[in-house]
Amino acid sequence: MFDGAKDQTALVRMDGLHKSFGPVRVLQGLDIEMKRGDRVVVIGPSGGGKSTLLRVLMGLENINAGSISFGGQPYISVKDGKTVIDPKVRRSIGMVFQHYTLFPHLSVLQNLILAPCKVNGESASGAKERARALLTRFGLGAKADAYPNQLSGGQKQRVAIARALMLDPKLMLFDEVTSALDPELVAEVEQVMLELAAQDMPMVIVTHDMWFARNIASRVIFCAGGVVVEDGPPEQVLGSPIHERTREFINRVFHIRT
Amino acid sequence: MDYSLDLGAVTRNFGPLLEGLWVTIQLTLAANVIGLVLGFVIALLVMSRVALIRVPATAFVEFFRCTPAIVQIVWFFYCVPMLFNIYLGSMTMGIVALGLNLAAFNGEAYRAAIQSVPREHRDAAVALGLSPLQSTLHIILPTAFRLAIPVLLTNGIVIFQQSALVAIVAVPDLMYEAKSLATKTYRPIETFTIVALVYFAVSFPISQLVGWLERRRSVAMA
Ligand SMILES: Nc1ncnc2c1ncn2[C@@H]1O[C@H](COP(=O)(O)OP(=O)(O)O)[C@@H](O)[C@H]1O
Ligand SMILES: [Mg+2]
Repeated sequence: MFDGAKDQTALVRMDGLHKSFGPVRVLQGLDIEMKRGDRVVVIGPSGGGKSTLLRVLMGLENINAGSISFGGQPYISVKDGKTVIDPKVRRSIGMVFQHYTLFPHLSVLQNLILAPCKVNGESASGAKERARALLTRFGLGAKADAYPNQLSGGQKQRVAIARALMLDPKLMLFDEVTSALDPELVAEVEQVMLELAAQDMPMVIVTHDMWFARNIASRVIFCAGGVVVEDGPPEQVLGSPIHERTREFINRVFHIRT
Repeated sequence: MDYSLDLGAVTRNFGPLLEGLWVTIQLTLAANVIGLVLGFVIALLVMSRVALIRVPATAFVEFFRCTPAIVQIVWFFYCVPMLFNIYLGSMTMGIVALGLNLAAFNGEAYRAAIQSVPREHRDAAVALGLSPLQSTLHIILPTAFRLAIPVLLTNGIVIFQQSALVAIVAVPDLMYEAKSLATKTYRPIETFTIVALVYFAVSFPISQLVGWLERRRSVAMA
């Protein structure tokens, strides 16, 4: 998509997000605006609320205060202490998790067509055709009839990505999708994500892989203590961060990797 | 010991034992139908958010789990007709008593299986846009059924064995026929040994099957 002007319009606006688990305050007034052209990588200390942020965006968690709009439409808000989520908007967001979430009783193909058929009422034959094309594109054409327990971790995560793409999402969320994988399987999953990036799919990615972050991000957000500490292009946030906390975190993570 | 073994006394009288085995199998199958269906309903009731539904269902389960099966059966046979003016054939009473007992245990098996479906799978279903009902029907229940199968099978064979208890209330099952044969022939050792072997011969393959299913599952989950 070559449309620079359109890419600058806001896709997601998060305003003053507050989220607590009992006494644990995880998100403490988060404001993030994401443009259509953005590929946001979120980094930060473990337990800092990165997963919670993605789960809130996916409409999987209630929030205590704040609001989210998506493509200019109200998506999530809080009314009388209750979280109100627009399910139509939620359907345009896809998510891939850290843990394997392929449904074990369904084959790869059945995993892919379940939501298109049940939620969108697509015909099974049409959905299967799209699913096979997608699997072939991801190098999984031979695995259509396999069951999840017959796949490697890397294959499972690639199928999970394909399953989310079946619903034509306008935004994809990735929560540490490679951190459960054996090191030699990480690249094949990251490759698929880089391919999506090349097609300008808007994404929010949580990862600890700084090499990958640098390669895929158009923008890096460092979250700690439930707020955005630093937000900027990857060269800045990963290369020469402004804030002391960011610098300390980057040094620690790079130190572990080398 | 002045007792020479004579298996012929039993093998010559195999007819009644086979009839008894057939009654035992009917009891087991019918009790399992009740146990599998009612157990599922009970699991749903036990997990209800409404206390008025949850509390009685839980009480039902705990009653059957915390009293001896033999007491349940005797209570059923003697107290239900007197308390509720319900008179059923002894076979039907046996089926209902065993079926209710099994429903309580299967209810727990279903509940545990439903609750052990990983949270991430429910989340993934929501992320894919499935409604709560669709997620329950297409994801949670099919996964839970698979998880529950080994326990349901085990409970099923336990009921096959427990069904021997209905002999004391005159249901002509395998155990009942064995007792009358032993009395008639004065051959208790041969009779009860062979009867034990018959129970074993039915139960053992199923328990092996359960072991195999569990090994296969631990591989599948890895
Ligand atoms: N379902 C939950 N119940 C209670 N506490 C939770 C739950 N989910 C996350 N938390 C807490 O919220 C904090 C942020 O967790 P998380 O969003 O997973 O962080 P991250 O992904 O950055 O490691 C942690 O302190 C964690 O223990
Ligand atoms: Mg996390």
